[in-house]
Amino acid sequence: MTPLTAIWIKDWNALRNLRRILQRESIFKTVFILCFAAGMMGGFFMMFLNGFQFLASLGGGGFMITRRLFALFFLGLGVMLVMSNIVTSYSTVFRSRETLFLLTAPLDTRTFITYKFTESTLLSSWAFFFLMIPFTAAYSWHEHLGLVFALWTVLFSVPFVFLCGALGTLVSLAAVRWFPRSRLVWASAAGLVLVLSVRMIVHIRPVMQEEATFILNRFLPGLQLATHPLLPNNWTAEGIMAMTNGQWARGSLLWLVLATNTAVLFLLIQEFGNRVFYTAYQRVTGSPDIRTRPAELLGGLDRLLGFLPHDIRGMVMKDIRSFLRDPLQWSQALIFFGLLGLYFSSFRSFHYNEMPLVWRNLIVFLNIFSVSSVICSLAARFVFPQLSLEGHSFWILGLAPTGMRRILLAKFSLAALAMVTISAGLMGLATWMLQAGPGLSVISIGLAVAISLSVSALSTGLGALFIDLKQPNPVAIISGFGGTMNLVLSLGYMLGTILPFGLIWHWRISNGLADTLFMKANVIAGLWVILLSLLTIAIPLWLGIRSLKNKEY
Amino acid sequence: MISIRNLNKRFGNVHAVQDLSLEIPAGELFCFLGPNGAGKTTTIKMMTTLLRPDSGTIRIGGFDVQKQPVEAKRIMGYIPDMPFLYEKLTPVEFLKFVAGLYNVIHPDLPGHIESLLLQFGLQEARNALIGELSHGMRQRLLYIATFIHNPRVIFIDEPLIGLDPHSIRMIKTVLRTKVREGMTILLTTHILALAEDIADRIGIISGGRLIALGKMGDLRTQTGDKGTLEDIFLKLTETPSPLNPEP
Repeated sequence: MTPLTAIWIKDWNALRNLRRILQRESIFKTVFILCFAAGMMGGFFMMFLNGFQFLASLGGGGFMITRRLFALFFLGLGVMLVMSNIVTSYSTVFRSRETLFLLTAPLDTRTFITYKFTESTLLSSWAFFFLMIPFTAAYSWHEHLGLVFALWTVLFSVPFVFLCGALGTLVSLAAVRWFPRSRLVWASAAGLVLVLSVRMIVHIRPVMQEEATFILNRFLPGLQLATHPLLPNNWTAEGIMAMTNGQWARGSLLWLVLATNTAVLFLLIQEFGNRVFYTAYQRVTGSPDIRTRPAELLGGLDRLLGFLPHDIRGMVMKDIRSFLRDPLQWSQALIFFGLLGLYFSSFRSFHYNEMPLVWRNLIVFLNIFSVSSVICSLAARFVFPQLSLEGHSFWILGLAPTGMRRILLAKFSLAALAMVTISAGLMGLATWMLQAGPGLSVISIGLAVAISLSVSALSTGLGALFIDLKQPNPVAIISGFGGTMNLVLSLGYMLGTILPFGLIWHWRISNGLADTLFMKANVIAGLWVILLSLLTIAIPLWLGIRSLKNKEY
Repeated sequence: MISIRNLNKRFGNVHAVQDLSLEIPAGELFCFLGPNGAGKTTTIKMMTTLLRPDSGTIRIGGFDVQKQPVEAKRIMGYIPDMPFLYEKLTPVEFLKFVAGLYNVIHPDLPGHIESLLLQFGLQEARNALIGELSHGMRQRLLYIATFIHNPRVIFIDEPLIGLDPHSIRMIKTVLRTKVREGMTILLTTHILALAEDIADRIGIISGGRLIALGKMGDLRTQTGDKGTLEDIFLKLTETPSPLNPEP
């Protein structure tokens, strides 16, 4: 048996044991996750189907967009896969505890890299399939293409996923091997990539095209980039369509182009990995020179917060420093909010601000939904387990001459302040870029603030209520009953606050809701949000404080 | 069996291992002692190919670990102080996996695994997931996984952490038996009584330098102290410096 075969068998066994692990989990959680995933896929399917039906209703232009949309969809997913695989490769290749175990086994580096590349690609590809399945199903349904379309989609998707994964892994290996460790250099590079991305989107210029294509590309510049003949997403999209339409020669050629490029990249990863991995690993695992690190991070901020009571200031500074020294936390927050910020700032490049009012209104409410979803997921991931993660050092807080009420309120205030600042800033940016008007802007920002405050309180309060100081693993904490309940309630609250305003504004624009009725409906919805938010803030915090006070440690 | 020549490793300004040379013959249980941050784990990580030395050579069973890492790893085993185990596998699945990694050819591998589980008192846990096992059981499982390919050299970083007295006795017995059978064992520990109890030879490292080497009698002669290993160790490492700043 080769080492690689042994590793695959190990993974297969771990997968089989998943059933046993699921049996130990809360049934409520499993059912909720399955229903939520099915609901999301169903929702995506309906959304894509409506989109295709709308495009079909536009006639010729709509048909042209539909054809190109397929390529654009794969471009978007491809970029997402590459980015995702850069991060996943770093953690699976360099940071995983399994790496140390495997490196002491008699594996050659090529085998190790092959396994880790495959693992990170599989781990980062679930979202690709989660989005691709409803999209292609909706397209197939709309075009009456039948099951054979699904077959061709899978056939082309697999090499496409590995090709994008390979690019991500190569970038990750090269970055770890050669990129300077200086934070300043990293920040500058990230800024440069951001600026170049925006400029690339803004400055796409159509050349030598027929009038309809020219207009289309002016209107939706992403379509032109997506249909570039040298891009793998275009091979994928064109290949699937060719096979579906019975153009076997063209379809096979495109699949072979895709597969051979993937194979070449695979060989490149093995060769490149063999050459650079070991040195890169030394850079990651080599102990840093601790004397170059400042003894106190953000000492200036500490002094600036001098007006706060000393115990609150101590806890706030401890949490800020822990957050900044945990790359997992700040990188996830940065990726989520950074992508949203980048997307919102490109609205005018995509001429969204020139779209009809009904579309802009829809986009605004979808933006509120996306920002709030990120807030909910980050709160569930980082705010909910923060008290439990005090773990064995909780005695420091417990013995300190400060009350549990103050500890909880300090944690809530810090989380709420960070969430409010980011979400309100993002919603302000989105509405400004869309030229949404003052009324809609106020409602969007107001909703973002309310959701940030409420979700922070909910996560902090329930985190205290379901505190588990013996569990060092944050994933285990958030996947328990309390964590699941927190996520369900956060999402429920989010829908309960966004939907009333969304419906009112949609009726107003599409059906011409009368002014008086519109005003009254807004006031009622506003009062509902305030009432719901006050309850969502007060009850969990009260329960959390009571639980902490009564608990024995 | 283990041959180290002029080994050096730096982390920034910290000289973690300085010009270390050491020879350990086959069938010896060697204890590597030193204060926290002395360079023990760094040395073991270089011997197990996890860290690359700045200079110097390490040979395990005649194989240069830099030039022939796969061959060297094939004959060695490593038990780190914070071991990794696959929590979603059962002990049997994990042991079969390790046997596959090391290409263990055994006429009755399942039977061999069962006998090892029995020997280490893990037979009743054979169907549990590793994530469900207690710390002591996981440690014992790790020893089985390390022995399954019958390595010629074993590196153990803190072998007895979190083990109950029965497990400690079992591990000590197993280690002594393996050494009698010709296995070479290098272990680090802060439990000086353990070192005194089972070591054939002892090396003491401080500030990245090997400051004492030999049997108990040799160390006593070297320090002029007739006391216990603890007395000798404390005398030799009076001013430990975790950062080992350069002069």
